[in-house]
Amino acid sequence: MLKIENLHVSVEGKEILRGINLEINAGEVHAIMGPNGSGKSTLSYILAGREGYDITEGKILFHGKDLLEMSVEERAWAGVFLAFQYPVEVPGVSNIYFLKAALNGVRKFNGLSELDAMDFISMVKGKMKDLEMDEKFLYRAVNEGFSGGEKKRNEILQMSVLEPSLCVLDETDSGLDIDALKIVSEGVNRLRDPSRAFILVTHYQRLLDYIKPDFVHVLAAGKVVKSGGPELALELEEKGYGWVDEKLAS
Amino acid sequence: MSSLENSKTQYAELVTAPNISTLGAELSWLSNLRESAGNDFVGAGFPTPREEEWRYTNVSALEKNQFSIAEKAGMVDADFLAKVLLDDCYHLVFVDGFYQPNFSSIDGLPAGVIATALSDGISEHEELVKSLLDSVIEVADRGFINFNTALFNEGTLISIDENTSVDKPIQLAFISSSEATLTLSNLRNLVVAKAGSKATIIETFDACGDHSYLNNVVSEIVVEPNANLSHHRVQEESAAAYHIAGVYTRLEHNAIFSQYNYNFGASLSRAEVHATLGEASDCTLDGLYVGQDRQHMDNHTRVNHAQPHAVSNETYKGVLADKARGVFQGRIIVAEDAQKTDAKMSNRNLLLSDRAEADSKPQLEIYADDVKCAHGVTVGQLDDKAIFYLRSRGADEQTAKNMLTFAFANEMVENISFKPLQMKVLDALLLRFPQAGMRKEWL
Repeated sequence: MLKIENLHVSVEGKEILRGINLEINAGEVHAIMGPNGSGKSTLSYILAGREGYDITEGKILFHGKDLLEMSVEERAWAGVFLAFQYPVEVPGVSNIYFLKAALNGVRKFNGLSELDAMDFISMVKGKMKDLEMDEKFLYRAVNEGFSGGEKKRNEILQMSVLEPSLCVLDETDSGLDIDALKIVSEGVNRLRDPSRAFILVTHYQRLLDYIKPDFVHVLAAGKVVKSGGPELALELEEKGYGWVDEKLAS
Repeated sequence: MSSLENSKTQYAELVTAPNISTLGAELSWLSNLRESAGNDFVGAGFPTPREEEWRYTNVSALEKNQFSIAEKAGMVDADFLAKVLLDDCYHLVFVDGFYQPNFSSIDGLPAGVIATALSDGISEHEELVKSLLDSVIEVADRGFINFNTALFNEGTLISIDENTSVDKPIQLAFISSSEATLTLSNLRNLVVAKAGSKATIIETFDACGDHSYLNNVVSEIVVEPNANLSHHRVQEESAAAYHIAGVYTRLEHNAIFSQYNYNFGASLSRAEVHATLGEASDCTLDGLYVGQDRQHMDNHTRVNHAQPHAVSNETYKGVLADKARGVFQGRIIVAEDAQKTDAKMSNRNLLLSDRAEADSKPQLEIYADDVKCAHGVTVGQLDDKAIFYLRSRGADEQTAKNMLTFAFANEMVENISFKPLQMKVLDALLLRFPQAGMRKEWL
């Protein structure tokens, strides 16, 4: 589904990613772990298409197509979804209209007609119930005044409405208490599907107790320094990231 | 002689031409008033940017356009009319400055309410017209007012009796037909809400066609003690039109006046709102201006706290795209006696292009010492992070920008309590920013 080859990325002349290689197939869950400043969030933003990065080398293929050639919205239409570490507050735009505009954009791209208003609302309300979100959030401005946990739930709500094929979750566990973490994780687990892949970008192993990864990659100083199964996350939890620095030094 | 002087002479000739204004020609007091205004106009002409109150707005294009007075009303088709006339309102309809009784409907007006074309009002209620005409205008820059006083040929007269509440808004619909190319209309609206009365008045300006013309409108409003008047203006003139309008209001003791000013159309528009506040009166001035292409939109307000304990709240928002230019000049005056005044003024502008411009100039003149006055101005652009966020969810770039623009402007639309009017303003906004939002009833 996703193939990242020798990806080099710089910001203002400083190289952040220094040759990332990663292959992700449908149905798989990959965790990308690493210390602060390792380039984890940059990788997430690159996948979503944020501006301000110089891609100096390498390529990314998504369903066989050149992802880097696609605009931000084209990536969304094609099935890329980034759950933001810091979801943006959008004053004045109601959550319900935002969801409707987003879903219709994706449906239009896929040659589908707009959903009937009633069907749309009952579908969204059903998904909100699963995430234990109050319906009043539909009519509030997107993320405005939401608590950290509410924002993260709203991200998962958008993800479950849009049904993307590649879900990138950037530090979704940050700022969540244990109850919210469970609800969000259950929301993600409900979406696990043989046709869908996940990239969990996280500093801590905690999230992986709830969402079991198939593969764990350790990112440090812009490179994948180690890949393995779920046991790698536990090893990191035990040893911390100190050994990564040692490894880089050697 | 330069061409500019030539054309000045042309408008000066208009105001001094014999028998040019037939309305009330037999009334000597009116003839005297017109003559005096006409003489002043001949002396001073239209204002120029050399005057402080006009420094951001140059109307010299008017002089090049050689507008002449419309001679008759053109045709307006039924579909267009249906679109302009708001549901659940009384209607007074004017086409090219001429009253259209066939399109108007004031059946069922409560007893004690006069709502009529000025041409009828002046013959049926001469004393009332005389008492209102030029009774509340306190400004020094009177170029367009003098032009209007000398030449007004139509308008409205509205009077609400004491303790009378008008059950539905009164819409004054001013329509420019495509036959009105290169014409000018001087319209005069006179309104008195007598003590304890309550009413809503909506002035709308629409055009069928993209022709050039000038509408010069003066509305004079008296809100007597304990009366409550809402006044709305929705300006959707043609893209080539000139729209100059002034709303001059006196609020008496405990009066409430709410003015909502929505400007979308015209090549050049100037919307002035002046209010003189009596003791413990309450004045709200809200405005939205949306400029595109090369539109020039000037908003000019003056709130004069003449008496103590009055409250004024003013919020104007501007959206400026392309090479549009928005102007906001807002002045608050607090007289020496006007203790315990509470005055707020804010002007926020959103620039959608590098070539759009917003000029904002709030001015406070405070002569009392125990007052609360606050003002703020912002000029900003759309939030790149929010654009990226919306796009990352599948809104294309233009839709994302439209959604955020709509969100900025919508605050001034949500505050309209009368639904048919809210829908009209919403439609004007969505026409300019497609896919930006939706009507609430969609839910």
